[in-house]
Amino acid sequence: MPDNKTPELPFDAENPAEQQLWNALGDVSAEEPSPRLRQEFYRKLAHASRPTVAAKLREWLGFSGNAGWLTATACVLLGLGAGQLFSAPADDQERLAALEENVSMLSRSLILDRLENDTASKRLRGVMDAAYVAGTDAEIATALLQRATQDRVPSVRSAAIEALGTQVKTPEVGARLMALLEQAESPLVQMALVDLVLRNGSSEQMARLQELADNGVLHPDIARHVATSLTRDLI
Amino acid sequence: MRAVTDEQLIQWVADGDTSCLATLFERHHRAVYRFCLQMTRHRSQSEDLVQDVFLRILKNAGSFRSDGFFKSWMFNIARNVTLDHIRKARRYPGESMDDDVLDQHASDQRSAEQSAAGSEKMNFVMQALAALPAAAQQVIWLGRFQFENYDELGRALGCNAGTARVRMHRAMALLNSTYTNMHGVPIDA
Repeated sequence: MPDNKTPELPFDAENPAEQQLWNALGDVSAEEPSPRLRQEFYRKLAHASRPTVAAKLREWLGFSGNAGWLTATACVLLGLGAGQLFSAPADDQERLAALEENVSMLSRSLILDRLENDTASKRLRGVMDAAYVAGTDAEIATALLQRATQDRVPSVRSAAIEALGTQVKTPEVGARLMALLEQAESPLVQMALVDLVLRNGSSEQMARLQELADNGVLHPDIARHVATSLTRDLI
Repeated sequence: MRAVTDEQLIQWVADGDTSCLATLFERHHRAVYRFCLQMTRHRSQSEDLVQDVFLRILKNAGSFRSDGFFKSWMFNIARNVTLDHIRKARRYPGESMDDDVLDQHASDQRSAEQSAAGSEKMNFVMQALAALPAAAQQVIWLGRFQFENYDELGRALGCNAGTARVRMHRAMALLNSTYTNMHGVPIDA
């Protein structure tokens, strides 16, 4: 028995008595649990959510999950490799280029790792790093778009939206961001999307923005902001 | 605007955000409590079972399938938790006897209220339901109050939709015969 409605499972009995019993069950009164249940649950949840010593250590070191440890190990190995390279004759341009490529790959994996981190502040850091390379790196742009559309923390979503910048004009990114605007509940996210479209959007996207503002999909203050901005642009 | 779905929340719990379990608890703890209460007839034990159910959800969040239906999965856990409890209670029968049991007094009280509201038969129906085997009570309770189709009910019962439908009809037939035996006449007499 849910709180305010009873789901209707279809039950058609041949025996009228069974049907009447089924109907009578719908009138059963709902008993509420005591306040102790909620108190106990939150106490147990707080206890269960406490990080383990290993997790605290990983957090302190700035790593999370296997990817973090792999990245750290890669850093150490790369450092050792670089030391060996620079102790060798300096005219080896190919090896230097290879080293540059390794550093670039490492940087990418660090950004991607941060974008997937469990901690919101680290994802935010990943978003800021990704903003510089998203224009030239499709994989990072995709990961950033995923943060923009799916991250559970509104501030990370809005930062990712902002980081996508001029990419709002590209068909795939543009379509997904406009779809997000139609579903976003957080005014923070709506504002970031609206600003992005007003700054970098195409004329079609502006028109869609106007429609969303007119149809009451956007938060009233943001809808007013859209109306003011678009009117000002027309003048 | 659409709220975050239960399925999305449990994925986030699996990803390590235990705070999302609180939202799931707020949405569903009453329904789980009433289910446990129907099965155990004991208030404080039912509250303890609800805790067990949600802590088991936390522990096993990673095993929730992304194409699954959270409510079915949750009631599957609740079913197992209450059945385990009932088995233990049968093994150690003296432990659950205290003033928190839904006793005849409570039934009488409920009966008085319902008579006043013109639904006296309700109490007899609940007595008959409580007299059924646990598995039959579960099918009826979940089917009547929690699920809108047999596919979802079947997932909660760990079977397919067709089997869930058959079990429901068998359980209702048993409820009818139990009601008739207890009160001498069928409900529609």
